[in-house]
Amino acid sequence: MSGSSPRLFLRHNALPLLAAAIFALMFGLYLALQPNGIRTDVLVTAANKGVLLALIASAQTLPVLTGGIDLSVGAIVVLCNCLASTLLSGTPTQIAFGVAATLCGGLAAGMVNALAVVVGRLQPIIATLATSTMFYGVSLLLRPNPGGDIDDDFASALTGAVGGVPVSLLLLLAIVLLLWLPFRRSLTGRGLYAVGSSEASAYMSGVKVARAKACAYVGAGLLSGFAGLLLTLVAESAQASAIQAGDLTLNSIAAVVIGGTSLFGGVGGIVGSILGAFILRTIGDLLFVLSAPPLWQPMFQGLILLGAVSFSALPTLRARNRLETYR
Amino acid sequence: MVTGTGSLRGLRAATPAFDRRLATALCCSLLVSAGLAAGSGGAFAADNADAQCFAPAKGSAGLVSLPAKKGPYRIAFANGFIGNGWRVQMLQTLKAYAAQPAVAAQIKELRIVSVGTDVSAQIAAMDNFISAGFDAILIDANSPTAFKPVLRRAKQAGVVVVSFDNTLDRTKAETDLVQVNQDQFAMGKMMGDWLNETMKQKKHVLEVRGVPGNSVDRDRHEGFRQAMAADPGIQITEVVGNWDDGTGQKAAADAMAVNGAVDGIYTQGGSIGVTHALIDSHKPLVPIDGEGENGFRKLIALHAKDGLLGESAGQSPALSAVALKAALAVLQGQSVPDEIAVPIPVANYKTLEAGKNYFPDLSDTFFAAYDFPVCDIKLTPQAIMGHDAK
Repeated sequence: MSGSSPRLFLRHNALPLLAAAIFALMFGLYLALQPNGIRTDVLVTAANKGVLLALIASAQTLPVLTGGIDLSVGAIVVLCNCLASTLLSGTPTQIAFGVAATLCGGLAAGMVNALAVVVGRLQPIIATLATSTMFYGVSLLLRPNPGGDIDDDFASALTGAVGGVPVSLLLLLAIVLLLWLPFRRSLTGRGLYAVGSSEASAYMSGVKVARAKACAYVGAGLLSGFAGLLLTLVAESAQASAIQAGDLTLNSIAAVVIGGTSLFGGVGGIVGSILGAFILRTIGDLLFVLSAPPLWQPMFQGLILLGAVSFSALPTLRARNRLETYR
Repeated sequence: MVTGTGSLRGLRAATPAFDRRLATALCCSLLVSAGLAAGSGGAFAADNADAQCFAPAKGSAGLVSLPAKKGPYRIAFANGFIGNGWRVQMLQTLKAYAAQPAVAAQIKELRIVSVGTDVSAQIAAMDNFISAGFDAILIDANSPTAFKPVLRRAKQAGVVVVSFDNTLDRTKAETDLVQVNQDQFAMGKMMGDWLNETMKQKKHVLEVRGVPGNSVDRDRHEGFRQAMAADPGIQITEVVGNWDDGTGQKAAADAMAVNGAVDGIYTQGGSIGVTHALIDSHKPLVPIDGEGENGFRKLIALHAKDGLLGESAGQSPALSAVALKAALAVLQGQSVPDEIAVPIPVANYKTLEAGKNYFPDLSDTFFAAYDFPVCDIKLTPQAIMGHDAK
C-alpha cells in the first residue's frame, strides 16, 4: 500500500491531493469575497452543511470501492433523521440512548442492503434502489408529519464551535481517524479494494469477498446514520422527504467522483470523497458571494462542477498508459 | 398547521355562489372560526399597515412590529427548488415587483440564491445571509420544521424573516416571524364545496393528491375531505399525482381504467395532465377542480360546453411579491399580522375571460393567478415573463 518515499505518496494520492487543491482554491476565494471578513459563524455554517454531505459521500465510497453502489444512502439518512427526531430529548442518558439507537438504525439498514447484495446476490444498483423505497416507507411510518422534539442545548453544542473550530468538523475528523484509517489497514479493508479491482482475482487469492462486500454496505449504513444524526441536530426536526433523500444520494455520488474514487471500484478512498463533498458545497457558497442571477445559478453550478471533475481527471490525460492511473 | 380563513372576503367577491355556501358552512359548526377571522380582522384594522392585503390568517396571534430601520434595505431570498414553472414565475414576479420604481427606491440590494431541495443547504444559505448583515430574509422553505435553530439566530441578529408559500410550523419562540400564504385548508374546502354543488351525480369522486408528506398536500386534502364529508354516500378514490402533469395524468388514467367513470375530479396540481387523462378516457366529461395553470383554464374554456365544468384556484407565484412587500413594511416599522392569508385567486368556467384570468396566447405552464391587485401588486404577464433573470 502507501509507500515510504514522498514520490510514492504523491503518486498514490494524486487525486485526493488535487481535490484538496481545488477545494483550497475555491474556499479561499469564498472567504476572500466574504463581505464581513472571516468569522467563526461563516466557518460553522460551511462546516455543518459540508460535513453532512461529507459523511454521506463517505458512506457511498465504501460500496463504490467494491465496484458496487448504494442508492439508498440518502434514504438511510432520512430514516435515521426521522428516528432521531423522536429520541433526542430528555435526560442526558436518554439522549445518549437516542444517539446509539439512531446509529443502530443506520447499521440495521446497512445490514438489509448487505443481505440483499451479498446473500441475495442482487445487482447493487437495483437492490439498493428497492431498499431505499423501503427505508423511505419506514421513515414515513415513523414520522407521517414533519416535526420532532430535539434538545436545544445538545443540538446547539454539536452544531456550534469550540475555540473557533466547528464541532461537526471535529466529529468528522474523529470518524476518519478512529473508524476509517484503522478499517482501511485491516484485512477486510484491504479486501474492499481487492474486490473492487478484480473480484475473481480477489476470490482466487483467498480474500473473503462476501465479508468485504457486506462490510461495505453495513459501513455505509453506519456512516449514513451519523449523517442522519447531524441532519437532526442542524434542523432540530425531521421530515420524511423522498426528495431530500434523492438529492443527498445524487450529491454523494458526485462527491465520490470529484474526490477521485473510481465508479468501477478499487481506487480511491473516503478522504477524497470528503474533499469532493466540500467542493460541491463550496460551489453553492460561491454563487452566494458572486451574487449570480437566480435563473443562471443552476447552469453556473453545473459549469463549476464540470470544471472540478475535469480538473481532477487531469492525471488521466498525462498518463502514458491509462492503466497507470489505476495502479 | 392550518392557517387562516382571512381570505373569505376575496372568495366571496370571486364566486357569487359563495354566500349560500357560507351560510351552510356557518351552520356546520364553522361559526367559531369564521367569527374569529372576522373579529380579528376588525381588531387589527386600526394598526395593520395594509389591512386589505395583509389579512390576518385564522391562526394569527397578533401583529409583528419592530423598531423602524433606515432604508434603503438589503433583502435576501433563500429559495429552495427552482426546477418548475411555478418557481421560475415566482422568482420573475419578485424581480419585476422589486424593479417597480416605488419599490426599487426602498431596496439597496436584492440577493437571490436557489439552493435546491436540500434542507441543510437552505439553512446554511440563511446563516450566510445573516452573517453578511442583510436586513430581511425571504424564504420558500424546504421543510416546515427544520428552521427553528436558524430562526433563533436570525432573531438574535435582528434580521426580519418572512416565509411564504411553503411556510413554517410556528413555535412560541418565533414572535417576529412573518408568514405569507394562501389558506390551503380553505382552498381544499372551497374545491370540495364547489364539486359537491356542481356534480350531476354524486357517486364516485377522484382525488389526485400532491407530494406526500408535504404540509400543503395535507391541508388541501383535509379541507377537501371536510367538504366531501357533507355527503357520506360519495366514494372517493385517492391517487398520488405529485402536483405533476405526467404523474397526475398516469395516476388519473389508471384510476379511471380500474374504477370506471367518475362523477367529479379534484386534482391539487398537474391539472393539465389530469384533464387530458379525463378527455383521453373517452368517458363523459365531468366537473373538475384544479390548480391555476393557464393551460388548465384554456382546456376548461374549450370544453366547458361538453361538460368539463371546471374551477381553477391556485397558489399564486406572486406570493413572493407580497412577502417582499410585508418585509419592507416591517423594516419601516409598520405592523403586519404574524400570519398573513392573502385572498385565493379563483376562476371557474363561468367567470373565465380571455386576457383577464386566462391567456390563450401564453404558454400552458404560465400560472394565471399572476398578480394581487388588492395588494397593489399590478404587473402584466408580459412584464413578468419578459423580465429576464438578470
